[in-house]
Amino acid sequence: MTKADLSVDLAPANPHELRLQNPVIAASGCFGYGEEYAGVIDISRLGAFVSKGITPARRSGNPMPRIVESPAGMLNAIGLQNPGIHGFVKKYPPMWAKWTVPAIVNISAESVNDYAMMAGILDEQPAIAAIEINVSCPNVAHGGYCFGWDPDMSAEVTRAVRSATTLPIIVKLSPGASDIVSVAVAVEEAGADAISLINTLVGMAIDVRRRRPLLANHTGGVSGPAVKPIAVRMVYQVAAAVRVPVIGMGGIMGLNDALEFFLAGATAIQIGTGIFVDPGLPIRLIDDLAGWLDDEGFSSLEQIVGIANDGFRLGQRPMLADWESVGV
Amino acid sequence: MPIAAAHCIEPGTKDFSVTPVTTSTERTGASREFESQVLSVEPIMGDAVLLTVSAPSGVLSHLQPGQFFNIVTRFSGSFDPLLRRPYSVYRAHRDPPALTFLVRPFGRGSAWLAERVPGERLGMLGPLGNSFTIPSRAQRLLMIGGGVGVAPLVMLSDEAAAENRDVVFVMGAADEAGLLAASELADRVEYLVATDDGSRGHRGLATEVVREFVQWADQIYACGPEPMYRTLRAVIEPLRINRRPSVQISVERGMACGLGACLGCVVETTHGMIASCVKGPVFDLDEVIL
Repeated sequence: MTKADLSVDLAPANPHELRLQNPVIAASGCFGYGEEYAGVIDISRLGAFVSKGITPARRSGNPMPRIVESPAGMLNAIGLQNPGIHGFVKKYPPMWAKWTVPAIVNISAESVNDYAMMAGILDEQPAIAAIEINVSCPNVAHGGYCFGWDPDMSAEVTRAVRSATTLPIIVKLSPGASDIVSVAVAVEEAGADAISLINTLVGMAIDVRRRRPLLANHTGGVSGPAVKPIAVRMVYQVAAAVRVPVIGMGGIMGLNDALEFFLAGATAIQIGTGIFVDPGLPIRLIDDLAGWLDDEGFSSLEQIVGIANDGFRLGQRPMLADWESVGV
Repeated sequence: MPIAAAHCIEPGTKDFSVTPVTTSTERTGASREFESQVLSVEPIMGDAVLLTVSAPSGVLSHLQPGQFFNIVTRFSGSFDPLLRRPYSVYRAHRDPPALTFLVRPFGRGSAWLAERVPGERLGMLGPLGNSFTIPSRAQRLLMIGGGVGVAPLVMLSDEAAAENRDVVFVMGAADEAGLLAASELADRVEYLVATDDGSRGHRGLATEVVREFVQWADQIYACGPEPMYRTLRAVIEPLRINRRPSVQISVERGMACGLGACLGCVVETTHGMIASCVKGPVFDLDEVIL
């Protein structure tokens, strides 16, 4: 009985390669630095994990409350609490060097130079499989406008990181962009090896009793099952417009959810919020995916990527609906 | 034994100058995800219930008072409410291995949990967090519980009583119906109560009752709503010498991961923002910024 081939190559054009044993990746912010889950699940079975976002300086993060539950999801405003790039490199690459699971480092910054600076430092570290650039950050040089909302700013960050490192680069897109496809095309042109999406949507919840926002930060990122339809739509659109591998995420809680992303055009997926409520989910998903592919007669995962997407990798901007079908 | 016991002075040694460690600073034992079966649901303390569920014996072998489990509080296939709820262990049973939790219906998750019936299955993650510790030379223990905060103190007082320590257990509730029955605590525990409406025991706050025991105690433990900790701090400050006895408190936070990965449950301390699911929920009151 042959088992379907789940392996994926997320950086085919990059000499370093980013070949994973399977397409299931633990998302940034939801898996710490790997050690937190190491005693609970067999992390060596994951395709990869993405570390908590690292910033140039140490950050203590936002005041509490930092998390709030929302319908079929949650809001978070952690505030990127992390040891900073220098604290990070002292502790984690040496730890990861003893593991087999590929570790991807997520970086966040407020200036193009800082992104490049961190990439340059990471370029020299052992045990880092790739860098994921979080562009959902304020560009302080431009009034705090979010890098990820602007194709040119996102491209500039990508180019700067590309110049600073030969490691595979994944750019993680923000769903807050008014035209996420333009941002995706721009970062592909600027040298991204792969694109991941979606990051969280900006949301809010209000405490009716206290008559105040529930989060200390007022707004926070929405994640979980509630965002899945938006994520699937954006993956579908982006996977049509670019040719680099697309990594999809947003509310995946089981096999069916994961399949939606693959069929829409994702080469790999990330699980974030789902891991909190169901730590066994990523590994179960790997086994369920292999079983489903076998049952459906596919010999590899590659065979299903983008098959629900008429425009897959055609470099076009798909027209999702005409006015009549939308009911206008 | 808690990992931090390495710092405690064993009886028989002559050096009494080392400060006893007041909390086990790290989570003890590996946390596990498992499925439990509901064994019993008994009403207690007014509208609350004692929910007893089966547990793998391996989970009990490292379990310490103050630790908690993150419980799924929705039906399979539903996404609401999404996040697991943290519950401190009220009591652990050996034969057959089981865990008892104190659940008061307050929000959607707790209301769902309080409605479970024997035979139903629950998704569990734990044991999580660090624990209360009893320094080996602490003979006199003062415990203060506010409302459902008594839960981890019941497990702690059981352990203390089994070790023949002297326990004064003070509980505060809104009214008589909200109090723990004396029969829930070991016989040797001295149990005192306070009710807001004076329907039983002292009329007023539990913190008003503890004054006379602060200097008697070798170690103090508290678990309840955060305003209780501020009041407690004010009450004990004039009665302590060199910040002794120290006070171990258990802080309640909403949880996402429960494993120290998401940093959504932090407590502000003199050492920075600390995840209350790993180097908590038990903290030294003097280190917490409330």
